[in-house]
Amino acid sequence: MEQAALVNAIGSGRVSHDPAELESYSSDVSFANRVRPASLVKPRTTDEVHRILKFANETKTPLVPVSSGAPHFRGDTVPSVGGALIVDMSGMKKILMVDRDRRVAMCEPGVTFGELIPAAQKAGLRLNMPLLPRASKSVIGSILEREPVVMPKYQWDISDPLACAEIIFGTGDEFRTGQAAGPGTVAEQRAVGGVQKAPYGPGTASLHRLIQGAQGTLGIVTWVSMRCEILPSLEEPFVVGSCDLDQLLELTHWLIRQRMVNECFILNNANLATIFANPAAADYRSLKAALPTWTLFYTVAGGEYFPEERVGSQIKDITEIAQRLGIEAVRTVGGISANEIMKTVQQPCANPYWKLRPRGASQDIFFMTIREKLEGQIAGMAAQADRSGYAAADVGVYIQPAVQGTSFHCEFNLFYDPGNAKERNRVRELTSSATKSLLAGGAFFSRPYGDDARMILNRDAASVEVLHTFKKIFDPNNVMNPGKVCF
Amino acid sequence: MTLSKEVYAEFEDVVGPEFICNDPAIMPSYYATEFAAVILPENTAQVQAIVKLCNKHKVSFRPVCTGWTGKFQAGVVLLDLRRMNRIIEINEKNMYAVVEPYVITAQLQAELMKRGLHLNVKGAGTNCSAMLRGHGHLDQSTGGDDRNHLAIEWVTPAGNIVRSGSLGSSDEWFCGDGPGPSLRSILTSATPPGVTPGVFTRAAMKIYHWPGPTKFPIVGNSPNYALSEIPANFMTRYYSFPTMEKMWQAELKIGESEISFELMGFNVAMVAANITTSNEEEEAAFKRLSKEVQGPGFLIILAGNSAADFEYKKRVLNHIVNAAGGKSLASLEDPRTEGILMCQCIRISASIRETFRPGGAFSSIPVMGQRDLTIKWAIGAGKAKEPLIEKGLIVDDGGASFGWGVEQGHLGKTEIFCKFDPQNAVAKQAVQAWHDEQSARAFKERYFALLSPGQPEEIGKALSNYHVWWNKLQKELDPNRVSPEGGALV
Repeated sequence: MEQAALVNAIGSGRVSHDPAELESYSSDVSFANRVRPASLVKPRTTDEVHRILKFANETKTPLVPVSSGAPHFRGDTVPSVGGALIVDMSGMKKILMVDRDRRVAMCEPGVTFGELIPAAQKAGLRLNMPLLPRASKSVIGSILEREPVVMPKYQWDISDPLACAEIIFGTGDEFRTGQAAGPGTVAEQRAVGGVQKAPYGPGTASLHRLIQGAQGTLGIVTWVSMRCEILPSLEEPFVVGSCDLDQLLELTHWLIRQRMVNECFILNNANLATIFANPAAADYRSLKAALPTWTLFYTVAGGEYFPEERVGSQIKDITEIAQRLGIEAVRTVGGISANEIMKTVQQPCANPYWKLRPRGASQDIFFMTIREKLEGQIAGMAAQADRSGYAAADVGVYIQPAVQGTSFHCEFNLFYDPGNAKERNRVRELTSSATKSLLAGGAFFSRPYGDDARMILNRDAASVEVLHTFKKIFDPNNVMNPGKVCF
Repeated sequence: MTLSKEVYAEFEDVVGPEFICNDPAIMPSYYATEFAAVILPENTAQVQAIVKLCNKHKVSFRPVCTGWTGKFQAGVVLLDLRRMNRIIEINEKNMYAVVEPYVITAQLQAELMKRGLHLNVKGAGTNCSAMLRGHGHLDQSTGGDDRNHLAIEWVTPAGNIVRSGSLGSSDEWFCGDGPGPSLRSILTSATPPGVTPGVFTRAAMKIYHWPGPTKFPIVGNSPNYALSEIPANFMTRYYSFPTMEKMWQAELKIGESEISFELMGFNVAMVAANITTSNEEEEAAFKRLSKEVQGPGFLIILAGNSAADFEYKKRVLNHIVNAAGGKSLASLEDPRTEGILMCQCIRISASIRETFRPGGAFSSIPVMGQRDLTIKWAIGAGKAKEPLIEKGLIVDDGGASFGWGVEQGHLGKTEIFCKFDPQNAVAKQAVQAWHDEQSARAFKERYFALLSPGQPEEIGKALSNYHVWWNKLQKELDPNRVSPEGGALV
């Protein structure tokens, strides 16, 4: 890549070839091979993104879009090929709209949860967000990755909370999805009272679904609008501890089925202790020992009208269901109050990021599944971990009911010391062998990253063939993040 | 175009002689189109074999299942999917059902209700395919449009079988998206004007909690059905408001407070249609009810998961309605009328009796998306109906439009009908003019664009050139162009 040509195309103020800065994009916490990019550009406007795409197509330069700040975890922002240009979108930080009545917000890729949450709250809204995103996590990055969200009741579709998006495809063409497509510009739509909310269309296609899960291989998103929820006026959090996961899953089913709860997820003792222990290892161990194997957390909420009555009737109904199952919802578990959990998970994670606290690094294995298979998959993972020499009891488990109870996101967190080659290799090998076993056991890896993506995608050759058709149309020169997903 | 004997025989080899036809005496029973043949496949393998043969011989095909209406090119092979009518699975714990294309909503709903579950019912009615993409009067609590699909089995126009999401990787139906970018970006629609090319042979649909009885306690004989009792923790009411703005404010708050099982914004013309059994009764009821209301309104059904939940929802509803100056329609509080309307709106479709019965035909402008925006447009479209009503060219419905919030008011649907006599050429022409003018106004004023086959280039251009991308996708997916646009509402 010619540095002068790049500067000429985009402007010197946005481009960097500083070796130290480039080095910071050459690897992440994952096992992705270290590949140093050739250049870095930090656009501030959509027009600059257009120019970057034009330059890339003319010079066949690979582009790697990045929205969130470090640390990165999945290898998707590390170049897979040499000569890449990192497109760091973190400087596009405008919150473009928060509309209370339409329950929608719009922002650029550099906006983090820590920035958007207060803006939404000011308008009486809240975001349906992932569990404890790191402080530097881009809201758009999370949405485009189809990260699970903690309020399954409001996840009508797996694409939620994505409403509309503006994307510059690999071809360099600009496209707006859903209602934002038109007629007219966004400004013209606003003038008549339109907000960019409805995700589907125009016409038959719903292309917002195409850019989610694409890991930046089809284009660069310059803004996203997202559905928001009304900020409750009263919330009551609860925890239910048990060593019987099936029991908790049954309760979870009814809570979500009858839409009685907002936040709702299950953590094992390793993960709950990791999140809430003080930095000292001794504190982690004592907290973990005090916790039940599994903890279901949920909140009951009331809105504008008679919130006490709403919450009271829901608690009464939930109590009846729990009693039928022989379990009890309480206010604390192992010394952690439900209120503390609620306050914690309604914000981004405080530094250091919780997955880095135990050992300095974490490798996540996550997949979608259904209830019938979940416990078998967890048991299989535990056996696999033990066989590898990684103590099964130290594997963090996060179970997130998804899409109004139609599936679960299951995530195993393998904490390790990145400076210890033996530990690192053990976790790397365990990740691959466990992924293989889980695939065989019916786990669906809907978001394949890193080394194992090939193994995952090879199981569905017919879908991959269609994905290649998309790639040919939207990024014919393969300039967008080559080497990722199946491209 | 007719099929040669040799080609016909090849199709016959797939399904057997009793499931293929090109008899000139039978063909007219399938729409007003000259089909090359009608073929009735039984399963995915047969669909795939037929599509492969269509590619081999460059013969176009169109699938149809329940076939509410359709637009077809002459000479296509029609795949009538009526033999693919099996409910494959109802997964109660994971809240989805897997169906073939000819499973109708009524069939699936009846099975689901036995299990305390139900599904989205499309506006086209419960006789239509359960796997249809679309909107219906239950959207408030059961979602809508393309958002109820999970995994889908799809025979591509080239004859490949693609199983989206978890189905392709792990043989389970619970997720339609991934690995990586979602194929649901194109596996969306079987409704015109745009349809996904190829054939959907099975699909998983989200299902929802049903707090009501395992079946409605229906008494009486057709067409005079009634409910012997209102199910516990259920209530149906119609509220009218002084202005459209007030009605919208109430609708907004009902969505936010998540109390509604069903909310359908329509004037009393649609109430009249649903509680009567003939045009004469309907006309009289419309006149009577029109005098009782103060302005625009909506029908709402509350359904409590428990007595306490029901009481809470009622209290919030009363509060919201009172704050907006709403007034309950007393006639509907009569349990018999309430029961008829409740059953009609949950089991069948609130809009069906309004479509064909009054005039024999109707013209419609449906708009999906942002409810308040489309209401704003529909006020103008309703006013534009008034001269046609005055001239007696369309059925008098007070200039009504109808619509509802989707997903507790996050999204919305608005639609407006003109009901007319299709034998009356003047009426037909006037309705077409109204349709064209109001669609053009919506586009010009940037409310929305009504898409249709063969639309002017400027519409696609104003919508991010979506048509260019769609045409490219179609060309790639259907290299022999055997799966034409047009389609059928299934």
